Amino acid sequence: MEANTEIKNAKARIEHIEDVLSSVAAGELELRIESDIEDDLTGVEQAINLLIDDLTHELKKSLKMKQEMEEKLHKIQDQQKTILQQQEDLMELSSPVSKVWDNILILPVIGTLDSQRTQIMMENLLQKIVTTGCTTAILDITGVPTVDTQVANHLLKTVTAARLLGAECIVSGISPAIAQTIVHLGINLSQILTKATLQDAMIYSMKKNEQLVDGKVKTNYVDLDDN
Amino acid sequence: MLEIVSDKSWELLEKCPILNEYDIVKARQIVREFAKKEGMGIVDQTRITTAVSELFRNMFSYASGGEVLIEKGIIEEKPTLIITCIDKGPGIDNIELAMTDGYTSGGGMGYGLPGAKRLVDRFEISSELNKGTTVRVMKWK
Ligand SMILES: Nc1ncnc2c1ncn2[C@@H]1O[C@H](COP(=O)(O)OP(=O)(O)OP(=O)(O)O)[C@@H](O)[C@H]1O
Ligand SMILES: [Mg+2]
Repeated sequence: MEANTEIKNAKARIEHIEDVLSSVAAGELELRIESDIEDDLTGVEQAINLLIDDLTHELKKSLKMKQEMEEKLHKIQDQQKTILQQQEDLMELSSPVSKVWDNILILPVIGTLDSQRTQIMMENLLQKIVTTGCTTAILDITGVPTVDTQVANHLLKTVTAARLLGAECIVSGISPAIAQTIVHLGINLSQILTKATLQDAMIYSMKKNEQLVDGKVKTNYVDLDDN
Repeated sequence: MLEIVSDKSWELLEKCPILNEYDIVKARQIVREFAKKEGMGIVDQTRITTAVSELFRNMFSYASGGEVLIEKGIIEEKPTLIITCIDKGPGIDNIELAMTDGYTSGGGMGYGLPGAKRLVDRFEISSELNKGTTVRVMKWK
């Protein structure tokens, strides 16, 4: 059967195979080898088509995976951005300075005091001292779990800066455990006026301002800065 | 120079890198948790947490970071928390000077190292110029 072993149009068909293969390699995954002739080369053509099918399938799968990964990555990046934003917001929020009484500012400090937060806190406090003209500021650190040399240093600097602006700073809320720790660290905080609790600091300030006399709150108090 | 050796009987509880300020806070909280787990009271928790805070911050400030090992072992027959801070920074030229109250090469207060030593039960430091510094503190109940 000589006719069967003969390959018709061999040159053109092999060229077609080459074309299809290079197109597929370039990304045209829908292309397949086409031929109306059936002979010995047909098996090869079909095998190549099957290979392209498999390859296309795998490629599509990995493309889809890549897309999914990218989407996930974007989501994570977005979440990260939100977290950073929230951290910043929290930082601003967690150093609220408020005027609680004539002439008295309170800054409750909660959480850990890293240098960035301390910077914001100090700026807020000094700004408020200037805009309100208050001469007493209470820094309550009940919510600060760790007072190390850096925090102590920041506290000292804040108190000194406030003093330069004409305000007296009182630090309240140093727990017994933190007081002992500060002593062992060896830091000298004697330049800072401290009170055990926020309430003690408040009473001290009101007495100093003559807003509290003989245990009674004076209502006709005139702001010291108004004289 | 004092050689700092680890004991094989110690149990490694956690390894934390210190690369930024946030790591300092995180590692410090982990140490506090372990101190609590070991049954230390609030005063001892505060002492060890403050001591390691100084060491972590030094690693971050002077050696651009390092690694912390938190271990548990028996020292002088007492269950002990052992924290080792390892950095590959510039090293400390004069350890005696660095351990002096009030000495700082930067703008600090100079109480970090000597203060940390006073806050713990055992303090070991070893340093080699241009190689790095290792500081280990131990606290038992
Ligand atoms: N890991 C370290 N690598 C290199 N140098 C260090 C390291 N730790 C401490 N030092 C050096 O030792 C000095 C003393 O350290 P110490 O922690 O006692 O004080 P400080 O960091 O300067 O100030 P403070 O800790 O009170 O804020 C530092 O100024 C620094 O020069
Ligand atoms: Mg220090």
